Amino acid sequence: MTNQIKTDFDKVIKYLKPPKENINLRKKSLNKFINLGFPQKKEEDWKFFDLNQIISSNIKDLKFFDKELFDKKNKILIPKNALPFKLFEHNKIIIANGAVHTIDFRYEDLKKINITNTAKNQSSNTNHSLAYLNSAFTTNYLKIIIKKNYSLNKPVILYNFTNEKITSTNINQRLDIVLEDNSRLNLINLFTDYSSDNFININHEFKVGKDSILKNYKIDDKENSNIKYFYNNIDLDQNSLVENFILSSGSKFIKNEINCNLQAKYASAFVSGIINLDGAKQHEIKTNINHLAENTKSYQLIKSVLNENSKGIFQGKIFVDSIAQKTNGYQLSKALLLNENAEFDGKPELEIYADDVKCSHGSTSGSLDENSIFYLMSRGLNHKEAKKLLINGFLLDVVEKITDLEIKKLIKEIIGVSE
Amino acid sequence: MLNIDNLYAKIDKKAILNGLSLKIKPGEVHAVMGPNGSGKSTLANILSGKQGYEISGNVSYENKNLFDLAIEERAHKGLFLAFQYPLEIPGVNTSNFLKTSLNAIRKSNGKKELDALEFLKIVKEKASKLKMDEKILNRQLNVGFSGGEKKKNEILQMSLIEPKMAILDETDSGLDIDALKIVANGVNTLRNKERSFLIITHYQRLLDYIKPDFVHVLMKGKIAKSGCMELAEELEKVGYEKL
Ligand SMILES: Nc1ncnc2c1ncn2[C@@H]1O[C@H](COP(=O)(O)OP(=O)(O)OP(=O)(O)O)[C@@H](O)[C@H]1O
Ligand SMILES: [Mg+2]
Repeated sequence: MTNQIKTDFDKVIKYLKPPKENINLRKKSLNKFINLGFPQKKEEDWKFFDLNQIISSNIKDLKFFDKELFDKKNKILIPKNALPFKLFEHNKIIIANGAVHTIDFRYEDLKKINITNTAKNQSSNTNHSLAYLNSAFTTNYLKIIIKKNYSLNKPVILYNFTNEKITSTNINQRLDIVLEDNSRLNLINLFTDYSSDNFININHEFKVGKDSILKNYKIDDKENSNIKYFYNNIDLDQNSLVENFILSSGSKFIKNEINCNLQAKYASAFVSGIINLDGAKQHEIKTNINHLAENTKSYQLIKSVLNENSKGIFQGKIFVDSIAQKTNGYQLSKALLLNENAEFDGKPELEIYADDVKCSHGSTSGSLDENSIFYLMSRGLNHKEAKKLLINGFLLDVVEKITDLEIKKLIKEIIGVSE
Repeated sequence: MLNIDNLYAKIDKKAILNGLSLKIKPGEVHAVMGPNGSGKSTLANILSGKQGYEISGNVSYENKNLFDLAIEERAHKGLFLAFQYPLEIPGVNTSNFLKTSLNAIRKSNGKKELDALEFLKIVKEKASKLKMDEKILNRQLNVGFSGGEKKKNEILQMSLIEPKMAILDETDSGLDIDALKIVANGVNTLRNKERSFLIITHYQRLLDYIKPDFVHVLMKGKIAKSGCMELAEELEKVGYEKL
């Protein structure tokens, strides 16, 4: 890999032409990545998701450069049905094949939003090998600042689109979002992949200021054979609130990592999600909820529905610092195994150094209740309908956690859940 | 309507039904009584199609082999079981479920499916006849329902579906006196020349309201004795041991 990645890196630099000091940053990152390599299962955080092995057995000759990634935007045709524009009124950012394609905040006061889009990226605040990979190769450094006291009028949909020309390629994306004090943003990440067999490495870093609210919904529903890693870091200031929802379903492999740092009192983080898989898919949600100040609150609810020989993983950690008294931390994971070959791995973790805290976690997994199926069928539903009704029932409470009504409706439509 | 001939059933090698025979003609109401564990619910479950039993013997329903029909087909063809222990189904809205069930049955019989409004009108009317709180329709199916509410919900389903052959498994257990009358009334309203009932109960009281045509005693997996209302009265006095 080493030679290939180095020559690919040179090509990226040639196409991107970043400023000199940025080339140095990228070079340093590249070397760090080369040293560390892709994460492997011997690393505790990756024990259920051996990325190194997953990449080598699913992607033939991974490349780190593809001209398509630098194609001028007018050449990338986005199929109409890929983007449900008529959904509801929203601002949009379109990322096509890893590069920023459109930024349209037509519903907003543009004086209140500061957007920079440059090849000159900042280093990540994490020292993980994939963050280095991201820093070395990312085509755009997109940064959005929502100014103090500004609440966006409409949600932002971040369309993540790849076309069928991209294959066996590593795509890196980077987005930083800052919500200044007392601001609000609803952000939806919608993934539509027509590409196959790529490794997509997405790094989102959020800073949520005092009294601010961030709602982030991530929807990966379209069937595709890509491998994705999402790294989300969210720093929460005093009395801020973050609601995070993940629908993890379409890609062949996904690892979704969410770090919430509750850095000041009265900050709260809500993370919920659905892992809904068939075939041989393997998806993981990994959370690190760090309670670093007094009176902070976190809530996590993850539900998995696993068909065929798919595998769902939830590693959820609640960390409570010794100064974080009166922390309230809750975590629950439930998995429904619909086939004897399906697998769920759960690793709940509590690490608590304060004494006046309320924390709990729970994890269950099991199959559909035969008696319930019999009950429903005895009322005229066939086996398939009975099963679907029970699965919907299983998923409903997590969907109900979504507080944005338009998005709740959208997600219900996508997964076919009705009340 | 329903002809059970020499039915045997085992579960995990344990014999539960041992050569049970029972014939129910259209329009007849049969009561089955019997000690705990004698196999009453097992009989009801097997008739509705529950799997997991080792079965021999014949059961015909409307002159066809019942065992040829899948669970939902039995429901489509008018067989209904009110469960002794109705199941709690989290996340499934009661009203939606009732509509899905009713429409599945209507559809299979070539009838037009009801839209939301049509259904609502009917379900509200039937629920009020059973003196059920309408709010219950918007709750999750049976979740947190009181024992009596669950039983009434079964009768509500029966009155919506209007089955040809209804089996009630201890629907009276856990009902207060007023509810008992309402449920009995629910059965009596549906009663006609074509429709048959198999009513499993431990108590004479329900039978006083319903007045079955026949009363049977099920013991050790078969019908030990058959008679009419007097048999139920006798059982109330002397219990099963004297039989
Ligand atoms: N799945 C099972 N596994 C083992 N034994 C079973 C199973 N189901 C039923 N039985 C046994 O079969 C016997 C008959 O049970 P059944 O529920 O039919 O009784 P019943 O007449 O309805 O009793 P009750 O009046 O208490 O409702 C009981 O001894 C019961 O324990
Ligand atoms: Mg019983």
